[in-house]
Parts: sequence; structure tokens; C-alpha cells
Amino acid sequence: MTGMAQALVFGLSQIASVTAFGLMLLGIAIGFLVGILPGLGGPTTLALMLPFVVKMNPVEAFCFLLGMTAVVNTTGDITSILIGVPGEPTAAATVVDGHPMAKKGEAGRALGAVLMSSLVGAIFGALALASAIPVVRPLVLTFGSPEFFMLAVLGITFVASLSGQDFMRGLISGGLGLLLATVGLDPMSGIQRYTFSQTFLWDGIGLVPITLGFFAIPEVVDLAVQRSTIAGGRVEKLGGVMDGVKDTFRHWWMVIRCSAIGAYAAVIPGIGGATTQWLAYAHAVQSSRDRERFGKGAVEGVLGPGAANNSTLGGSLITTIAFGIPASITMAILLGAFLIHGVVPGPDMLIPEPQGHLGLTFSFVWITVISNIITVGLCFLFLKQLIRVTQIRGSLLLPLIIMLIFLGAFAEKNTFEDLVLVLMFGGLGWILQRLNWPRPPLILGLVLGPLAESRLFLSTDNYGAAWLARPGVLAIGVLTLVGGFYPLLQRWQARRRQIGQPSVPNAASTNGAEPSQLNWGILFTLLILAGLVWALWESRRFNFRAGLFPWAIGFPVLGFVITQCLMELTGKVSNAGGDVAVEGSDLSRNVVNRRTAGIFAWIAGYFVAIWLFGFSTGVTLCTFALLKIGADEKWPLSLILTATTWAFTYGFFGRLLHIPFPDGHVSLWLNLPSFF
Amino acid sequence: MHKTLVSIAAVLVGVTSFPGIALGAAPFFEGKVIRIIVGLPAGGGYDAYARLIARHMPKHIPGNPTIIVENMTGAGSLISANHLFRVAKPDGLTIGHFIGNLFFNQLMKQQGVEFDAQKFEFIGASAKEEAVFAFSKKSGITSLEKWMASKTPVKMAGQAPGAAPDNAIRIAKTALGLPIQLVSGYKGTSEQRLAVESGEVAGTSYAWASMRATWRKSLESGDVVAVLQAVPKPFADLPKVPLAMSLARTEEARLLIDVGLHKSGEFSRPFALPPGTPQERVQVLVKAFQDTLRDKEFLEEADKARLDIDLVTGEELKKAVAGLFSLEPVVVAKLQEVLFR
Repeated sequence: MTGMAQALVFGLSQIASVTAFGLMLLGIAIGFLVGILPGLGGPTTLALMLPFVVKMNPVEAFCFLLGMTAVVNTTGDITSILIGVPGEPTAAATVVDGHPMAKKGEAGRALGAVLMSSLVGAIFGALALASAIPVVRPLVLTFGSPEFFMLAVLGITFVASLSGQDFMRGLISGGLGLLLATVGLDPMSGIQRYTFSQTFLWDGIGLVPITLGFFAIPEVVDLAVQRSTIAGGRVEKLGGVMDGVKDTFRHWWMVIRCSAIGAYAAVIPGIGGATTQWLAYAHAVQSSRDRERFGKGAVEGVLGPGAANNSTLGGSLITTIAFGIPASITMAILLGAFLIHGVVPGPDMLIPEPQGHLGLTFSFVWITVISNIITVGLCFLFLKQLIRVTQIRGSLLLPLIIMLIFLGAFAEKNTFEDLVLVLMFGGLGWILQRLNWPRPPLILGLVLGPLAESRLFLSTDNYGAAWLARPGVLAIGVLTLVGGFYPLLQRWQARRRQIGQPSVPNAASTNGAEPSQLNWGILFTLLILAGLVWALWESRRFNFRAGLFPWAIGFPVLGFVITQCLMELTGKVSNAGGDVAVEGSDLSRNVVNRRTAGIFAWIAGYFVAIWLFGFSTGVTLCTFALLKIGADEKWPLSLILTATTWAFTYGFFGRLLHIPFPDGHVSLWLNLPSFF
Repeated sequence: MHKTLVSIAAVLVGVTSFPGIALGAAPFFEGKVIRIIVGLPAGGGYDAYARLIARHMPKHIPGNPTIIVENMTGAGSLISANHLFRVAKPDGLTIGHFIGNLFFNQLMKQQGVEFDAQKFEFIGASAKEEAVFAFSKKSGITSLEKWMASKTPVKMAGQAPGAAPDNAIRIAKTALGLPIQLVSGYKGTSEQRLAVESGEVAGTSYAWASMRATWRKSLESGDVVAVLQAVPKPFADLPKVPLAMSLARTEEARLLIDVGLHKSGEFSRPFALPPGTPQERVQVLVKAFQDTLRDKEFLEEADKARLDIDLVTGEELKKAVAGLFSLEPVVVAKLQEVLFR
């Protein structure tokens, strides 16, 4: 034990040099920017920085790299809350409740909450790393594919709790997410599933285009329809930020539980921040008494993911350090840095110096904690300025947000076709939002699908049916049943209490009386049914290996959809969505419809312009058109913002970062040099 | 006056277009930006090689251009290979780096291939993909004899049909008749290693260059043992481990090992240019690539990053690929049956 304590102190002493600390600050500064900007992801940036690392000593290298990695999730959350576009793929869950808070004029509170919970999460993750060090190897080695599969199933049952009131729709949405995860080459036999002969779909549908489409595009539409600011003229309550900080302590145990979810789920290879944030979000919903508030600006929905996406780093480091198994791309790059410095991950990382590298391991704990404290401190200093974003008028923000959406969608894989996906899922997301279908379950299904499928297959391939009897499987199975049935039980009890009372019309059904609304809702459910039937019909040519998972998911979901259709047709449930008019505004339906059509036309216009003229030119032209023609802004302002857009896309992303934007088709037709 | 100008111009034209003189190419690359398009994500092995080469190669190219690395990921680098063939301009400024095993996909007419491997201009390869079969000590398979004597099929971790580990394991099973149950579906070598260490499978197979770096501790301690190597000559650090070829009993087995394991190892990590790139630019890059891979500073840095360097010249690469496409249809059919069935 004294060896441990010594190593802990030794770890701290190692980073206490001027160079090491300076490099950590530099890393933090870079990570800060990377986190805030959608389209500039942690992994890519790490790869770019790796060459500089070669010349540093191990501790310096990790001060730099970990400092950078540790802060991207925190600053990514800021973008998610303020403009509704996830700053990082790992900060998408924060949008769901964080952005509605900003729209309610509570941006300060949301930011205070997310920063404080991020700090708690990061420290928890670091402590988890420190305390897991002695026990982690035997623990993880007892886990095989069957247990990993069961953990994925456990995660999927969280879907039930994500659906809030509308249980059936939540199940359907989650099931559709799992089915969407099967798009691409099937991992076991290489057969194409639902790829429409498009090579870009071979790797499946990326999480980033779906999240941007589902959450950011509907926000853009709202902003354009309202023609106001994000905060809609509502003024921040005094002391909002401190209120958010206090929220973290009000919901202390939930924040700790979400941190634990982040840290311990991330120990599993293949699970990173993109997944843990949603698991934590689901848990936040699950553990709340008042699920109705979620999606509309519940602070718990911000605290959970905020804590989890930060504690994930500590968890991923556990697997990387103890086994040399990188749990994510970021970890793979860190592993590369280990090897550059001749540090081989494995048991040695847990033995005190000079035989091992325990001191180095503990220095990671310190770096994570210290860099997060610095970041959160910095953010608090600038919060007032940051919050002002929500008070800028929408017409100025729109071009910026649309550009960030397209940039973020493109830069994940540098694939033009992902822009098409953003458009498609943007349209779908908007419809889901209007018709009150829950969107988070679909995303959770999408992120857990591949893990569940490959581990299910590996279990069967390896053990036949015998894996079902493994003790670990049984234990997690029981946990899953309890977790899955508990919400059902709660609902049943709640309904029993309501019996005898006059039925209280819920928010949706008050607006849903109109026949036109009724038709749209049912029509959409029927559309889902048709899509599902088509997907199952397509799957008839899959072999057993490729078909197992789609069938196992598809047929139950088909049952749910049919039930849902029947319930809607017979009027057992409300099928109507929220009113078309935007909440809290008194615009007439005509105006709303016209503006909605208008903004969709603009978004499509961006796409066409990018296709014709290439990314930076297309976006620049559209920015100008949207400012001058769309919003009738003054010339100087329009020109300045247009020039900034150009400098940002062409200069920063194109020239400096070498994001490989494709050439526009016009320049291909005219055979111009590769310039745009 | 006029005549003098004309004659000066004529001399200039003559000099710069004279074949064999570097002047013709030097001004071309000067001030230019060469892009290496890596078909796999940032942070992986292919990416690491490309970035290392991008840092050191400019000084070996006349005109010292800038070299940058871009990642165009998807479909196991097939998207980038198609892009290099169909879209990239053949001006010597775009270099592709993708998984060479894709050439098998073309040969066996798998879906999605939109390139013709033999029309690429090859610059060279920086490493060979040479498989080693390794098992955990606790599996009991600590030597080839014990492996051959195993009564039950020995579980080995693979990734997916067509992936290098699966190819190696399938060929070993068919050509050498070793008792193997391939458990395929692990995502990457790190998951394969975890499966071996946790005892879910007995062993696995992937490139030794990567294995000896990432699994060093377990190999040194003897917890993991290399049992078989699929190379023409033993690795210097594995002098006593038997060669796959030495176990082959039939002509067919020898052919499968030669084509499926040895030859494919040579073209598994190619650097290539789009078809139709001007020959003098190709030659400049081929030479610069060789010079880079022999550069002392480069080798030091590669050593530090634990990236094995094993030069395959542009010429050798071209030959290996041509060899693949001159195989008898019967052999191709057999390979297809073994690898993709």
C-alpha cells in the first residue's frame, strides 16, 4: 500500500515541471477549441499532434495528449447546449435537454450544470482508474463475449425508460435504431445489407449525420420559424450559472451514478463516450420521478451525459493501460504514443518504478483531474460571453449553424454522401419531433447495435447455446429483467392510481383533435410499418449469419408497430404530435408553414451549392445569400460574416487542417484546377 | 534580337525536356502539395506509416514539396482505392495507401471493386504483412507438435472473411490440415488479443510486425507463444519457429501458401498512384520512396514508433500484383473457396 501511495505522489511530482505543465496547458488550449468546433474531432486532432510527441519524454507527451483529450468533451457540451449542434459526437446527448434549456433562457444554468457535472465525472473517472488498477485485470478477463453481449442487452433495455410516457413508441424507435445499425456489410459474412449498392454505406450509417439530422436540423427550423434569438427574448435569470452548479449537488447521487456508468461501461472494448452519454441519459430519465420534463429542458438530462462523457476517459484508460486494448480511436492513438516511448501497456503499468510504470499511470490520473479543473475554471470565466450567443438574433446565427452542421457531417469520415444522410435524417428528425416520437432511443439502438450483434454472433459461434448458462450471463440477465420490468411496474401502479379519476388529457391530445393532425400521425405510423415490412422482405435473401440479428429485432418490432397502428386507428392512444405552431409563440399556422418550407429550401440549397461549387465556395455563397436575400441584413455585416465564413472553411479547415473537401462539380465540368 | 530569344527558348526547351535530367521534374514538385490518401482511420497502422513517410519523404523529392496525409475511410479502404482509380487526378500529387488484400477482391470478382489493380502506378510498400500464429500458454498449444496432436479443433480468433487474419487461419486449416475452429467477428487485433488472454479462444494470427510490438510483454514472459510463421525465411527474432511452407505436403498446399500468404504479404501495404500518371513523375516518387526508407533519421523514428520497415520497391510490387493476376483459374477458384466460402 505504501508503494501505491508513493507512486501516487511520484505521479504528481512528474507533471510538476515547467515543460510538462506548459505542454498540458497547450494541450488544453487545443482541446478547448477542438471541442467547441463541430467537425473537428478529438481523434483526428490527436493524430495530427502525434509527430510532435515523438520528441517529448513520456510524461510530457501524456500531459500534452491527455490534457487535450480530457477537455474536448467538456467544451463539446457547450456547443451542444448553446446552438443545439453537438460540438463532439460524444456530446450529442447533452443537446436533448441542454438546448431546450437555452431556449427557455436558462443557458447559464445549463452550462453551470454541465461544467460542474463534467468536473465531477472527470474526477470520478480518474478515481475509478486509480482504484481499478489493482483489480482490473482479473475482472476484465472473466468477461467473455457472452457477458459483453448481455451488457449490451442491459443497455438496450434502458430504451424502455427513455420513452417516458409513450412506451410503445419508445420501443419501436429503439428497435428501428437497432435495425439501422444493421445497414452495411454484415460483420460475419460480408454480405451487403440495405446498402442500395452504395459503397459509402458499407460501414453503416454514421452516428454523426444521424445525430446532427435528428437534433440540430429541427432546432434550425425552430430558430428560422421563430425569427428571434435562441433564447427567444427570454432573459437569463440572475445567478443562473450558480443555480446550475447547485443542481449538480442537488442531484449528487444521480451524477455519481452516471459517472460510474461512464467509467465502467467504457472498460468494455468498443464502448466509448458516444455510447456512455446515452446510457447515462437513459439512467437520468429512468431515475427521475417526473419523466415528462425530459426533452423539454430538464437539468438532469444535462447532468447525466455531462458527467458520463467525461468519466469515460478514465474507464477507457483502464483497458488501454492494463491490456493494451484501446477501447476507442482516441485510445488507439494514445497507445501509439505509449509505444513510441517504449512503454508497453500491460501488467508493468501497475508495478511501481523502477521495475514498472505505476508512477506514470498515476500521472494520468493527475493530468485528467488537473486539466479538467483548469478547463472548467476557464469556462466559468468566459461564461457570460458564451451565453450571449443565445441572445444573438437568429438570422445571424442560422448561416453559422447550418455551416457547422454540414461541416460536422462531412468531417467525421470525409464523405460527401454523409451530407445526403444529414438531409434525410434531418427531415425525419423534424417529423419525429412534430409527431412526438422519441428520438433518443433510436440513437441508443444505433450505437449499441453493432456491439450486440457481433458479440451475440461470437458467443454462438464459440459456445453454441451453452453460453446462456454462464453465471455472468445469468447474473446480468436478472439485472436486465429487473431494470426492464421496473418501469413497467411503475407505470402499472400509476395507472391503477388514476382509475376512477376523470381522465386528464395530456398535452398532445389537446392539440390533436383536428382531423388533419390525426391523419398525419397515422400516416407516419403506417409509413414505418411499410418500411419495416420492406426491410424484412429484403432480408429473405440473407443467410443465417447475416439474418439472425435483423430477424431477432425486426419481427418483434413489427409486432409493436402493428399494435401501435391498431391503437392509433381505434383512438386508444393519441397519435397527434405537438401543434405545428412553435411553443410560446403566437404565429399563425400559415406563417409557420411558409417559414418551415423556406428554411428547408435553404438547407437543401446549401447542399446543392456545396455539390456544385465545392464546400468552402458553396457555403460562402449560401451564407451571403441567406444573410442578404434571406434576412435582408445590412451590407457591411453580411460581407464581414461572409468573409469570416470563407476564411474559416477555406483557410482554417481547407488549407490549415487539410480537410479533403471534394471539388465542386462546376470546377470538374470546367476542368479547373483543384482549388475550391 | 528576335533570333537570339528564339534560340535561347529553343535551348531551354531542349534542356528541360531532355530525358533523364532531373530538371524536368524538379520544378514540377517545387511548391506543390502531395496528398497521401489513407483508406483507414487516423491513428491506425496504415495511417502511422503514411504520416511517418509524409514527414521524411519531401527532402528526397527534387523541389521539396509538402506532403500531407488525409484519411478517406470506409469499406476496409475500398472506397479510397476506388477513389484513387476513378476520381483522383493522375498528376503525381495524389498517392493512395490502402489494404492490398483488396486485390484479391478484384481477382475473385467481389462486389464493390471499381479499380483494376494492374493499372495503378506503384511507388512501393513500406512493410510486409507476414503472419505469425500465436497461442496462449494456458491453452496448452505451445508448440506445433502439440497443435497437431490436439484432438479437438483449436479455437482461433479472426475478424471477417477476406481480412488478413482470417485468410491466414483459413489457409493454414486447408493447406496444412491443422485442427482449427475459426471464431470470426472480432473487430481488430486488439480484440483478438483480449479474446486470447481471457481464454475465449486459444490463439490467433496477425502480422508479426504488429504482434511483436503490441504483445511484447506476453511474448517475453511466455504467456503467449509464437508457434508457426507464414514467411519464406524465418524472422530474425523467431529462428526456431517452424515455417508454414515446410509443412506443406502437396503442390496445391504449397501454392496456396505461396500466393495466399507470402505473395499477398508483399502487396498488402501498397503506396500507389492513379493510372496514367506521367512516367517521369512516377519514377521520381519511386526513387524518393526508396531513399526515404533507407534514410537514417527515418529509420530511427520508425524504430522509436515500433513500425517495422521492410522495403518493397515499386518494381517488386508491380511484379507481385502481376503474379496474382496470372494465376491459373483453377488456383483462383480454390483460393476463392478457401477464403470466401
